[in-house]
Amino acid sequence: MNAIELRGITKTFGRTVAVDALDLAIPHGAVYGFIGPNGSGKTTTLRMIMNIIFPDRGEIRLLGAPLSSATKDRLGYLPEERGLYKNMRVRDLLKFYADLKNGKDIDAEIDYWFARLEMAGWAKMKVNELSKGMSQKVQFLATIVARPELLILDEPFSGLDPVNTEALKDAVLEIQRRGTTVLFSTHDMHMAEKLCDFIFMIHEGRKVLDGTLSAIQDRYGSDILRVRTEEGAAALTGLSKIEKINDFGNLQELRVAPGCDPQVVLREILARTKVYGFDIVKPSLEDIFVRIAGPQARPATAAGEQENA
Amino acid sequence: MRKVFKLAQREYLAAVRTKGFIIALVVVPIMMSGSGLAMALLKDRMDTDDKRIAILDRSGIVAQALIQAAELRNAEVAYDQETGKQVKSRYILEAVDSTGDDIPAMRLELSDRVREGELHAFLEIGPEVLHPGEEQEHWRIAYHAPNAVLDDIRRWLGGPINNHLRSSRLRDLGVAEEAVGDLFHWISVDALGLVTLDTETGEVKDARHAGKAETLIVPIVLPMLMFMMFMMAALPQISAVMEEKTQRIAEVLLGSVGPFQFMMGKVLGGVGVSLTGVAVYVIGGILTLRWTGNEEFIPYAALPWFIAFLAFAILMFGAMFAALGSACNDAKEAQSVTFPAMFPMMIPMFLLMPILQHPLSPLATALSLIPPCTPMVMVLRIASPVGIPAWQPWVALGLLLLSTVFTIWAGGRIFRIAILMQGTPPKLANLVRWAIRG
Repeated sequence: MNAIELRGITKTFGRTVAVDALDLAIPHGAVYGFIGPNGSGKTTTLRMIMNIIFPDRGEIRLLGAPLSSATKDRLGYLPEERGLYKNMRVRDLLKFYADLKNGKDIDAEIDYWFARLEMAGWAKMKVNELSKGMSQKVQFLATIVARPELLILDEPFSGLDPVNTEALKDAVLEIQRRGTTVLFSTHDMHMAEKLCDFIFMIHEGRKVLDGTLSAIQDRYGSDILRVRTEEGAAALTGLSKIEKINDFGNLQELRVAPGCDPQVVLREILARTKVYGFDIVKPSLEDIFVRIAGPQARPATAAGEQENA
Repeated sequence: MRKVFKLAQREYLAAVRTKGFIIALVVVPIMMSGSGLAMALLKDRMDTDDKRIAILDRSGIVAQALIQAAELRNAEVAYDQETGKQVKSRYILEAVDSTGDDIPAMRLELSDRVREGELHAFLEIGPEVLHPGEEQEHWRIAYHAPNAVLDDIRRWLGGPINNHLRSSRLRDLGVAEEAVGDLFHWISVDALGLVTLDTETGEVKDARHAGKAETLIVPIVLPMLMFMMFMMAALPQISAVMEEKTQRIAEVLLGSVGPFQFMMGKVLGGVGVSLTGVAVYVIGGILTLRWTGNEEFIPYAALPWFIAFLAFAILMFGAMFAALGSACNDAKEAQSVTFPAMFPMMIPMFLLMPILQHPLSPLATALSLIPPCTPMVMVLRIASPVGIPAWQPWVALGLLLLSTVFTIWAGGRIFRIAILMQGTPPKLANLVRWAIRG
């Protein structure tokens, strides 16, 4: 059973098409990463899934049922911009939010997560006494204490320090192990690579990537050459069939043109300088992202026909 | 529905736990009754200094009589008759020489003496006061003081001066004052209510003395209390919703509840707040009136109407203000919509007195049937001693109910769009468009 199914979802604001005929199927129990540049329609899509705004066209099914307000009790939603009542105490606030979801055994769950996320002693604090990072953790807890079956997180890790990011990432994985499906949007490509079973990217309202990380990387081919040479980047300028050079100082990454044989490139470099290392690697998610959404984006031919995972 | 109550409960607790609410509930009545009490207590006791007043008596016949009257007054009221303690100022009057020709110079000299603090004021009596001619300047009685208009002494002076003049005029006519004592007997018109029939004994009961309390204070207290509840429980919706929108609490809540539930939760919370406030005031008021033996002034018949009209009004205004607040993006916008939003409440507020004087006038009747004005105006008319047609409160309640339902419907449509809309100003055209298109 799919936890989320979108069919032909379209949403326009005035003349802007925010989301254009979007299809998506998220299998039950998966961690699905949702990436895309700013303004690509991520938040709009998540809000439509949450039934906060309504699509102009298309169908949304959640947890096997058509979208309805009753389904909302089974969802946890962390919006991109956080909102907590400043004058409430942390425990009262968490209970209030969980109660709105008809959550059961809320106190036990709150105590469990307080211990798990090292938040002991926060219960009686008022929200306006918390630091930014602390209130973000509270907001995350508010999203999960009602034990949602489907967790939707809009930029859950933005603004967190590495320790808290790690703690929250572990929490997300624990929730997944309990059987919750997780859909989260992020700008952090490394986090998406580490955490997600599937990755899904939209650009200008359209889906451009959808699949497992390795499937996506395979589709983009092994067209990255990681090179270490005696003379470094200076020796590599002007090579034929090279689309882009990323200079990391000690090593350079070269992106070769489609259909070009890496052996030809290697021979060409050897003719110029000594080669200490030469690797043919898959492109990183970040690299793929930049290729699709960057200023010199290729026409989305390679990304156009994605199979559904 | 459970979620609506959950939201309403949070709203209610958040509101009644604030210092502002407790202050409004406890301190305002204390201040109101306290200031009345303080005024009554301090009215005459504030100042027991002697008031020296010079009399420039150009008629030559008033000064002596006035000085005697002042001495008599000082003996009678300046001292507490039992304890002998001074409780009021003494009026010390002195006649100054008025024989010179240069009256302006004399006035200036006396004014300077007042300015130096030697005198409290000076009184100038025109030369023709006994038989006033055509020139007003010649029979004017002028009281010169830094604060002449509000000065109690000026009001007191009128009595002894005119009494003395009337006696003198009678003497001039050769009539002994004792022979026409009734001439000075002034009878005022008594204000009474209507007589009623006692159904048990069959006797006609005497009409009650209609005091200011019954005709003026009691009817006006109810709409004022209602207005206060609007300020406490409905108006804050604008800024509260605006803050929830700008702090993104709204989006978190919308992940759990629908926008209509969200709005109704807030509005019902407001109704709860207002009923709590009213309960405290009404129970406090009833207890105070009974305790002070003024039970007859409690408008028991008007109270159920008051509660019903208040509850609907808070629902209606609450929904309206929540919708307005949802359209605001910052405190400045919230402020700019607050004044026009208060308009429907302010109109009846300004018209309370004319409506109370003529509760059956077409204006009063019409206003009491126009829904935004209905609650305050109708309650005022119901509480006034004049009976209004029995059908009117029911029709008004029906109309109010309809407009409350309409406002909640339209407010809900505005709310669900505006609460997620960032940066679009709360212009009337936008609000109407959202309400119509949904």
